[in-house]
Amino acid sequence: MASQYDRAITVFSPDGHLFQVEYAQEAVQKGSTVVGIRGTDIVVLGVEKKSVGKLQDERTVRKICALDDHVCMAFAGLTADARVVISRARVECQSHKLTVEDPVTVEYITRFIATLKQKYTQSNGRRPFGISALIVGFDDDGIPRLYQTDPSGTYHAWKANAIGRSAKTVQEFLEKNYTEDAIANDSEAIKLAIRALLEVVQSGGKNIELAIIRRNQPLKMFSAKEIELQVNETGKEKEEAEKKKSKKTA
Amino acid sequence: MRRAVEPQFGREGVRAVMAATFFGEVVRTPCRAGTEDEEEEEEEGRRETPEDGEVRQQLARKREVRLLRRQTKTTLEVSLLEKYPCSKFIIAIGNNAVAFLSSFIMNSGVWEEVGCAKLWNEWCRTVDTTHLSPTEAFCVFYHLKSNPSVVLCQCSCYVAEDQQYQWLEKVFGSCPRKNMQVTILTCRHVTDYKTSESTSSLHTPFLKALKTQNFREPPCCSLLEQPNIVHDLPAAVLSYCQVWKISAILYLCYTDVMKLDLITVEAFKPVLSSRSLKSLVKNIPQSTEILKKLMTTNEIQSNIYT
Repeated sequence: MASQYDRAITVFSPDGHLFQVEYAQEAVQKGSTVVGIRGTDIVVLGVEKKSVGKLQDERTVRKICALDDHVCMAFAGLTADARVVISRARVECQSHKLTVEDPVTVEYITRFIATLKQKYTQSNGRRPFGISALIVGFDDDGIPRLYQTDPSGTYHAWKANAIGRSAKTVQEFLEKNYTEDAIANDSEAIKLAIRALLEVVQSGGKNIELAIIRRNQPLKMFSAKEIELQVNETGKEKEEAEKKKSKKTA
Repeated sequence: MRRAVEPQFGREGVRAVMAATFFGEVVRTPCRAGTEDEEEEEEEGRRETPEDGEVRQQLARKREVRLLRRQTKTTLEVSLLEKYPCSKFIIAIGNNAVAFLSSFIMNSGVWEEVGCAKLWNEWCRTVDTTHLSPTEAFCVFYHLKSNPSVVLCQCSCYVAEDQQYQWLEKVFGSCPRKNMQVTILTCRHVTDYKTSESTSSLHTPFLKALKTQNFREPPCCSLLEQPNIVHDLPAAVLSYCQVWKISAILYLCYTDVMKLDLITVEAFKPVLSSRSLKSLVKNIPQSTEILKKLMTTNEIQSNIYT
């Protein structure tokens, strides 16, 4: 049945599906995992790094990109589509700053990206963008924000979320472990992001990339050493927690 | 389960029937009851010219399934299992199943190649149908040197419908032994899985089993429910085993990633506890390392998704 209604983006199926949009969401599942956490004074983005060829320059394979000094995003899905969306969002950030003399709010730029994506679900001859994005940042009021957009053009605010491959597993972990204690301070929020990623990342710290934005500070990308340190600390805490549990049960 | 609803005439004048499937969706299916006029017209078209015959023969030669020994480049005169009788026959069809066997089973001992099946069809990427290079063997057969009654097949090519019977004849022979156990591993995309549950509640990848009547052991996962069916070579092998009363089981992994994927390969792990494979597994941590290496060499190639 689907095959009769899935060729053209502008055609609804009898039961109300836009199959091309749903297939675009499948493309998102092919990208590696991204997790976003909104802390009290910090926002964290963690991604599973894609394996790079020996001769490939690692710096050109990036999932976390700054849109402005106070906003950044990470995506999962088609690399080329992400490049186009990021480029348009960056131009919009600067255009907004020049026009109204204020930086964009996180919600504004998220709405811009979502509107752009929605247009491509309603145009003839174009296909939807095959990416989902997690957009994080701080507004002028000092409140941290985390938004997620998907290929259909919807956007929602989240306390914590994951997109990409194995996102469901990470989401379930976050639902269980995102508590007020877990985001009590900045380092706890970072550890939560790392623990969430380690649920699905196979080879540990060397395949993780981490970025944070603190209030009134620019985007900070963690170096490989810093990530390794954080992963080791998280590992030790996990071991200690397990030892305590086994003592209690014994 | 189909019920004819009402007959209709399509463009070609062939009677088509609207039928209801298991879940009630109405589909168009061709009706096998033809009319008298159609039969006369078909007979005229059926008379073949000599050129047609030659083309047909050439095509048949091109699509022939050949079983040979790579080392000596000689064709096997008898079927593979006649030449190498076995009590355990493990077949992996598709790249994820092949990767699973390579990582978890083949590192457990010394395996000697005993033959390979060479075939060509429209899905093959090679154009040259006559010369076989070491990297292009499509179905490779091994036996365990320490226990030659264990035979393993790694099939990473697509065997077309018209070639499946030839493959079965060349591998099993016309009168196969009944006292062997066949285990087949393969993958299918989860969009082929029919269920009344919501698809968002399915945790892919997941394993389902389908067995012949003579298979007595409990399977390592739940059985495949109706109306799901098995396709292609795995279905052909299983049907063959059912007809010849051979004990056989198929483990089918439904996945959302059809290319080589770590999580999909690991979904086959429950099969390691089956009687056929338990004795063949030696070192699981080492197997996991081998699997990771296989994955990284494969993942690096594509830049489409990030």
